[in-house]
Amino acid sequence: MHIQDLILRLQAFFAERGCLIGQPYDIETGAGTMNPLTFFGVLGEKPWNVAYVEPSRRPADGRYGENPFRVYQHLQFQVILKPSPARVQDLYIESLSALGIDFSKHDLRFEEDNWESPTLGAWGVGWQVVLDGMEISQFTYFQQAGGINLKPVSAELTYGMERICMFLTGQDNIFDLVWGDVKTDLGTTPVTYGQVRQRHEYELSAYSFEHADLDFHWHLFNAHEKEGWRLLKDLGHFYSAYEQALKMSHTFNVLDARGAVSTTERPGIIKRVRDLACGCARAYLDFETAAPAGGAV
Amino acid sequence: MSEPRTLLLELHCEEIPARFLRPLTDELEEKLAGFFKAQGLDLPSEDDNESTSFVQGLFSPRKLAWMVLNLPERQPDQTEVQVGPPQRMCVDEAGAPTQTGLKFAEKWGVPYSEVRFELPKGKKEPCAVLTLTRPGRPTVDLLAEALPRLIASLHVPKAMRWGNSDFEFVRPIRNILCLFGETVVPFELDGVKASDSTWGHRLHHREHPEPVLLLRPEYYESALEQAGVVASFDLRRERLAAELERLAAEAGGRVVEDEELLDTLALIVEVPHVVRGAFPESFLSLPKEVLVTSLKEHQKSFCVEDAEGRLLPLFLSAANRRDDPAGFVQAGNEWVLKARLYDARFFFAEDRKAPLESRLEKLKNLTFQQQLGSYFEKTERIMALTGPLAPRLGLEEALAREAARLCKADLRTLMVGEFPELQGIMGGEYLRHEGAPEAVWRAVKEHHRPAGAEDHIPATPLGGLLAAADKLDTVCGCFAVGIIPTGSKDPLALRRAGQGVVRIAWEQAWGISLSDLISAGMAVSASRATGEAAATKEALASFFQDRVAYQLEMAGFAGSVRRSALAVGWSDLVDLRARCEALSAFAEDARFASLAQSAKRIGNILKDEPPGPGLDPSALVAPEELALSARLAHLEATKDHPSLLSDLAELAGPLEAFFTAVMVKCEDAKLRDARLGLLRRLRETFLRVADFSLWQ
Repeated sequence: MHIQDLILRLQAFFAERGCLIGQPYDIETGAGTMNPLTFFGVLGEKPWNVAYVEPSRRPADGRYGENPFRVYQHLQFQVILKPSPARVQDLYIESLSALGIDFSKHDLRFEEDNWESPTLGAWGVGWQVVLDGMEISQFTYFQQAGGINLKPVSAELTYGMERICMFLTGQDNIFDLVWGDVKTDLGTTPVTYGQVRQRHEYELSAYSFEHADLDFHWHLFNAHEKEGWRLLKDLGHFYSAYEQALKMSHTFNVLDARGAVSTTERPGIIKRVRDLACGCARAYLDFETAAPAGGAV
Repeated sequence: MSEPRTLLLELHCEEIPARFLRPLTDELEEKLAGFFKAQGLDLPSEDDNESTSFVQGLFSPRKLAWMVLNLPERQPDQTEVQVGPPQRMCVDEAGAPTQTGLKFAEKWGVPYSEVRFELPKGKKEPCAVLTLTRPGRPTVDLLAEALPRLIASLHVPKAMRWGNSDFEFVRPIRNILCLFGETVVPFELDGVKASDSTWGHRLHHREHPEPVLLLRPEYYESALEQAGVVASFDLRRERLAAELERLAAEAGGRVVEDEELLDTLALIVEVPHVVRGAFPESFLSLPKEVLVTSLKEHQKSFCVEDAEGRLLPLFLSAANRRDDPAGFVQAGNEWVLKARLYDARFFFAEDRKAPLESRLEKLKNLTFQQQLGSYFEKTERIMALTGPLAPRLGLEEALAREAARLCKADLRTLMVGEFPELQGIMGGEYLRHEGAPEAVWRAVKEHHRPAGAEDHIPATPLGGLLAAADKLDTVCGCFAVGIIPTGSKDPLALRRAGQGVVRIAWEQAWGISLSDLISAGMAVSASRATGEAAATKEALASFFQDRVAYQLEMAGFAGSVRRSALAVGWSDLVDLRARCEALSAFAEDARFASLAQSAKRIGNILKDEPPGPGLDPSALVAPEELALSARLAHLEATKDHPSLLSDLAELAGPLEAFFTAVMVKCEDAKLRDARLGLLRRLRETFLRVADFSLWQ
């Protein structure tokens, strides 16, 4: 089973069950939750099912492409089901069966793991899903996003694609995974995850830990904040303002990986991102209420 | 009345967090018992007055269940008394009922003839009174009304909503089973109707799609067992423990015991099964604590050790299924564990690339407590405490300062970032690898001990000093900025820290009083203090007295010994311990009664006396008082507590002779003062050991 097969199977599975198949966002995100398809999609009353893969950047997790288990950027498969269906756990288990997991031979547990994103003003309760001792998914009932209580409640399923792939293929090194086969006139060549990603991992780890310019990033952080508030306050534009919040979040993560944020400063910095994100959420809801048929997600 | 029946209620949910299973079960157990009592449904048994109906709670990851035995089918008839208007308003002068009187009877639907007049409690005049009898209602109806309300009233600390409803619970309720005998109790909760069926193990139903039908509550546990669920926590725990032991023994070792982990496992599996796996032997080069912690925290797995306590390259994990037919569960756990240990080895190697002391600078931006500053500042305070205290404990000052300087540095290592519970331990390990003096690395390694009442204190004297100094600084610093535990509020666990200080000083027999330690602790945080020093000192003294009292209790001394010994001094622990031991031993002695009697006689006569001048032996005249004075000199020269107690017991005779022969409060003021002075000095001798007036 190759990485791309897993993605295709999950997409097909959820498309058949009434989900829109979304696309990754083109701005750095730390998780699928930050994609506007989720952040705005879970707000308000209208039903919303969406699934997509999200390349998620975690600068502090970078290991220069040397650690076989940890990477700067990994692939999250994200599903939002709103309202959360009564059979949601069964549906999730069926999706694993679709990946070829035979439950007559495997162990499955749902262990308490409540999720919180202080930068998005969001939290939920749920589990980490543990298959044969390995955490393969995070399963969350969203209670709040952008500082707003959610009703209906969305169920969020996230799958760590590399981990599941390593597990299913028995690989000990993420870079040995096969991403897919490239077939040309010259023949078929399997392309590994390492070929696609390893050098990128090295450079981005080096950047996050050593080369990122601190003054430049502090400047960016402040500038994005200012820009975001200008868009939100002056124009009431929540999508463009939210992009600024995402950029603030990523900039903060880089600064954090560089060790430039002290523990005392940390909560204050996170709050600045959250304030903007929460402002965007409120503006989105105002817009929805005023124009229910409007083009917002 | 017909036969009593059994009630079964089961809420089948999505996986409930392990930590809430027992509290929720217990809470509804209590609420049900209260409800049955209020409704007259707790049948008294024939033999005694105890109720025969009782509630038994059962819980497993997806199920909260309650079984109630011996509930009557119908409530007994209920009588209630209704008080109406005063008699004078209900009856006219001729004795005939008034309009008001008739209306009262009509309101309750009974003929006026049933109204009687009496003086109800709390009223000033006779009133119309009715005793009404309501026929008892069928239990099933009462349950159908009450259960939704009782369930919804459960206190859920981290409640959630789901779907499109406002209903809140710990996790979504997906099925309700509720049988009273063979009857379904008809009620509904957030759209889920109670029924006579439930679901077994999740994976069981992938092969058997039908729900588990239950004919009678009594079949509950056996029906679930067939469907792959062990309903009882105790049973799951027992089976896990037995399997762990068996599998460890098979591999030639024993389980590294951990009751907490065993509890956790019994809470997260519906059916107990243990899987044994192996990890590459090369990981055994990691410190044992790292392996045990990593296995526990990341994989909820037990380590296996040999007879000498050396780890074997094996682990034991619980699986939530009955078997492992393809070996996938074992292989999966081995795979994950390898990844985890790889990470741990990475941290261990990375951390050692630079000496531990290189992290000291980074402690400056790690906050210990807002008003008390960073860990760097805390480190400086611990150094300022350990330095001067070390020589008083016969320890080398330079070593003590060095251990203190480095004790918090590991907070900035990768390993402790990953496993906070390894703080101290890693610092010690890294120092050992760096070739630090053994006393230093051992002290750092054990300076978090005792972690609780169950844990040991540090084994080395320097470790004890460092551990106590760290905790003393935490307690004194917090008190100085006004963070003082009250009632159940002790967010920084200061009581535990304080207890640690007392336990270390007690068990290592420190010749330093707690008063001295408090002063030292206050001195190092004086620059941060926000409160009045005198008030802080008083609060600390009272706080530590409580800790000492608890220490005496833990040491097993009887209440009378603790009370009377503590009353005359709590600060010098070595002396306190000697006094308590002497008292405990002497309490068994036949002469103890006579000692207590003497103390009481002296106490009584001095009770209302103001303090007077000291004893002037030259003023004494009677041979009996001269004899007593000689005794006093002997008592005051006796140093050890057992001999002193023995001598005090011998005082009864001379004291008796003294009281018979002389009149203490005589006319001659000089003589009276001398006699009272003699008695005061004797009393002080008793008080060197204990205040016997508190002995009961």
